[in-house]
Amino acid sequence: MSSTTELAIDTVLDDAKEELPAAPRRRRLPFSPWHLVLIPLTFVLIAPLVWMLITSLQTHAEATHFPPVLVPQHPRFQNYADAWAAAPFGHFLLNSLIVTLVVLVSNLVVCSLAGYAFARVRFLGRGALFLTLMATLMVPFQVTMIPVFLIVKWFGDNVWDALGIDHIGALMLPNLATAFGVFFLRQFFTTIPVELEEAARVDGTSRLGVLFKIVLPLSLPAMSTLAALTVLTSWNDFMWPLIVVTSTDQMTIPLGLSYFQGAHNTQWPLLMAANVMSLVPMLAVFLVAQKYFVQSVASTGLKG
Amino acid sequence: MIRSRPIIALTAVAALLLAGCGGKEDNASGPTEIAVWNGFTDASATNFAAMIDQYNKDHPDVRVTQLMTSNDLVLQKVLTAVRGGSPPDVAYMYGSWSPNIAEISTVTDLSGEVSKPGWNWDDFYPAERAAATVGDKIVGVPALVDNLAVVYNKTLFAEAGIAPPAKDWTWDDFRAAAAKLTNSKGQYGTLISGDASEDTVWHYLPMLWGAGGDILSPDNQHAVFNSAAGVKALTTLQQMAVTDKSLYVDATNANGVNLMNSGKIGMLVTGPWDLPSFTDIDYGVQVLPAYPDGAGHQTISGPDNWVIFNNGTQRQRAALDFVKWVTAAPQVAATSKATGELPTRTSVGEDPTLVADLTKKVPGTDTFIENLSNVKKSRPTVPQYPAISQALGQAIVSVLLGTAQPADALNTAAQAADAALAGK
Amino acid sequence: MLREPLTSSRSPRPSPIQRWSESLTGWALVGPGAVLILVFGGLPVLMSLTLSFQKSDLLSTDAPWVGFDNYRKLATDPLFVEAIKHTLVYTALFVPGTMLVGLLVAVAMNRSLRFISVYRTAAYLTMAVSTISQGIIFMWLTDQNYGLVNAALNTVGIESQPFLSSPSQALYVIVAMTIWGWTGFAVIIYLAALQAVPAELHEAAAVDGASRLTRFRTITVPLLGPANLFLLVWLSINALQLFDEVYLTTRGGPLRSTSVIVYYLWDQAFVQFNAGYAAAMAYALFVVVVIITAVQFRITRKYVHNT
Repeated sequence: MSSTTELAIDTVLDDAKEELPAAPRRRRLPFSPWHLVLIPLTFVLIAPLVWMLITSLQTHAEATHFPPVLVPQHPRFQNYADAWAAAPFGHFLLNSLIVTLVVLVSNLVVCSLAGYAFARVRFLGRGALFLTLMATLMVPFQVTMIPVFLIVKWFGDNVWDALGIDHIGALMLPNLATAFGVFFLRQFFTTIPVELEEAARVDGTSRLGVLFKIVLPLSLPAMSTLAALTVLTSWNDFMWPLIVVTSTDQMTIPLGLSYFQGAHNTQWPLLMAANVMSLVPMLAVFLVAQKYFVQSVASTGLKG
Repeated sequence: MIRSRPIIALTAVAALLLAGCGGKEDNASGPTEIAVWNGFTDASATNFAAMIDQYNKDHPDVRVTQLMTSNDLVLQKVLTAVRGGSPPDVAYMYGSWSPNIAEISTVTDLSGEVSKPGWNWDDFYPAERAAATVGDKIVGVPALVDNLAVVYNKTLFAEAGIAPPAKDWTWDDFRAAAAKLTNSKGQYGTLISGDASEDTVWHYLPMLWGAGGDILSPDNQHAVFNSAAGVKALTTLQQMAVTDKSLYVDATNANGVNLMNSGKIGMLVTGPWDLPSFTDIDYGVQVLPAYPDGAGHQTISGPDNWVIFNNGTQRQRAALDFVKWVTAAPQVAATSKATGELPTRTSVGEDPTLVADLTKKVPGTDTFIENLSNVKKSRPTVPQYPAISQALGQAIVSVLLGTAQPADALNTAAQAADAALAGK
Repeated sequence: MLREPLTSSRSPRPSPIQRWSESLTGWALVGPGAVLILVFGGLPVLMSLTLSFQKSDLLSTDAPWVGFDNYRKLATDPLFVEAIKHTLVYTALFVPGTMLVGLLVAVAMNRSLRFISVYRTAAYLTMAVSTISQGIIFMWLTDQNYGLVNAALNTVGIESQPFLSSPSQALYVIVAMTIWGWTGFAVIIYLAALQAVPAELHEAAAVDGASRLTRFRTITVPLLGPANLFLLVWLSINALQLFDEVYLTTRGGPLRSTSVIVYYLWDQAFVQFNAGYAAAMAYALFVVVVIITAVQFRITRKYVHNT
């Protein structure tokens, strides 16, 4: 890093360490009153999750009772074992993990490159290209799924076997980059002060260097948000795997869940148990990601 | 900060795993592989898996694999697969799709095949054969049969002081019972699906037929459900829904079974698949009521089919052989015993030991099996049926919600149906 | 607290060579993403366009070319007009509703309380829960006879409402249901944006005597510009393409009161086997979405700090 850029960063850090006004007066309650708002709010938001948990511990009769049974008589943890045994969930889990991981890494890399270009680089056709990419979000999947299938099949037949519809590569291929990711990161990159980037460029840092050394470190909240959302979408994707999977060993977890949904009857307790189990990896991802939701101190104090 | 090296390593690992996971190798020699798509769950899934194992053991030159797909969505998957040039060999498909599946070129026309020995085609119940026949083509082999009857809550009947339904009961009896069984505490005499889908329509059709009416003219050219019989049948529903308020119209079509099992509904018109769910009530089963001077205790059946696709002579022959075996009498009997489903073959359905056995496991099964002989008519296998169903469904729901009169609603629907029949 | 930029941002006009090298850099950076999205997102959109000019049921190989017939039929289809109306009403209620609720919740969660990570995780988890579970809960809660909402209404003397069973109420129940389902998403986006608002600005303004509300209005809201635009556009795109929740609960009913464009389209394609017609509908929708999105970008341009 050149001296000018270092100077820039140091000045910023010094500013941030300036004395802040005195801490707020001690509250009269032993805890912040905000908890009184947040707890009920949170409960309302996670009500479906609570219902899932409750149902996963009930018997079928309890789960389908009307009005709903809120407390199961004897919590049936056996449901979890039964759900796991009903289908090769271990294999589905592995597939889901691989697909999600590849899609995540690909999106983070590709979308940040593209998002940065749209945010900061004046290139010919930028506006038109951005609109075109956005346009791909505007036709419902029900209509595009057959053409996508045909394209992926073509890839499998003509480019690389592993990407074709008989392999789990097909699950990854259409999702390696999304217009959503590009749009999202473009918006966030535009909030990074241009001055910092210009300082670095004056020093001779390449565009790519600016991206990696200046912009991305300051975009941790955005990147971790995108990571969390990408994991979520990829993990829960149901329609595309349904269309494209041709054998049981390529199935992902959402497809596995359909083992509990028959034509006339749904095995609610098992379905919910499997659902809860599939939430656990996503929960882990989020707990890690949300540590980076808090912006690092160095970027504050630059607006204005 | 994103570092490039771990990404490369990760991608490499992914690539290796990709190459290893999934995918069938091309096998010019070796057993013929056929793929069967179905949506079986629970006992049906276990049973079918066992049958596949048995078949594979007995036929070392064939390897049958199955893929679990959601029954409702298997059509979208099949359409995509067919378009993309990779259809399955066998797929379990709803009978209501038959007229449309008939237009897929890779679907095997079985009309020549099933007259050959070993199939015993006429052993299948007439309704099933009708659901698999589209014009001159036979598009599938019956995989499932069912019908509609009345499941009633014996306790609620006793509490209301009504005698349980008799075999010769009429729709007036039904209406009276429903009225007595409705109270102000959230208990209803009966329930109907109110989402205007085929589910709603096929609850109405047995009433239409029972009153002496028909859906389409014999040449399938125009709608005739707006006849006096049709109006009569729809009026019965209107009286219960709007006048007596004894008919609960379930708009989301999700609650019928649950409400019944929770003792909130007196009588539910449903099929044998729901019987295992009624664990908390003491229920009985009776055939649908009839109209006096009508056409008897008619009911309706919703058979589903095994559809066979042509992926080359070898695979097609293997698929045919597999389906023939799966639908043969011994396997049909075994499936019924294992899953409680009604037997798809008359010879099996008339075996008293089997029927007694099934009824011991799931009470009421014998009534449903006998009721199969009340299936006298079936829905027309014309490609425009979905449009006709939709028009009729909207008409029925508008009457149930009290926003239209039966004659007007049915006339509007008939116009729409005629337009659909003419259009295509 | 304006600070002198360390270098002048008014650099001399770039020379043609600089502009070309800028463009090349731009294309190189945008390349991988653009190629992937155009191949798997753009190409299918184009391929479906050809479908809209055919009379196809996706079943038979015979799909005659009918030119603009499907579009002509669309223009006179009263059910399509109804679907458009419902979709627009839905979008007009859902988008601002979700943004407002999301913002309020995010503001509430944007503080370093103990257990704040628990609350944020809960917000995230609401998105992880499948639409099925949300649908089931709402159907229970709003059940005409046995639902909690009606039980609560009864205690204050209001009679039980049919909600999802009523043609006049069902759409609004779906609005409420989807706002609930999407709040977590809006919260996450706003949280990320709120984090980028420097605390110093708030402190300085507080020292100057500005109230919380004033500070919120004059400092936070403008800096949320990019996040607002993002949510506005993304939520609108999704609202105009509403399908899952309708499929799970009302199936377009009762009496077509919740028939929205994508549901009607899906029904035409996979239940009525009119795939060509459905594709035409998708394109009509596409035009609507493009116009609305373009308008949104235009009118919010002055509210957003942008390049």
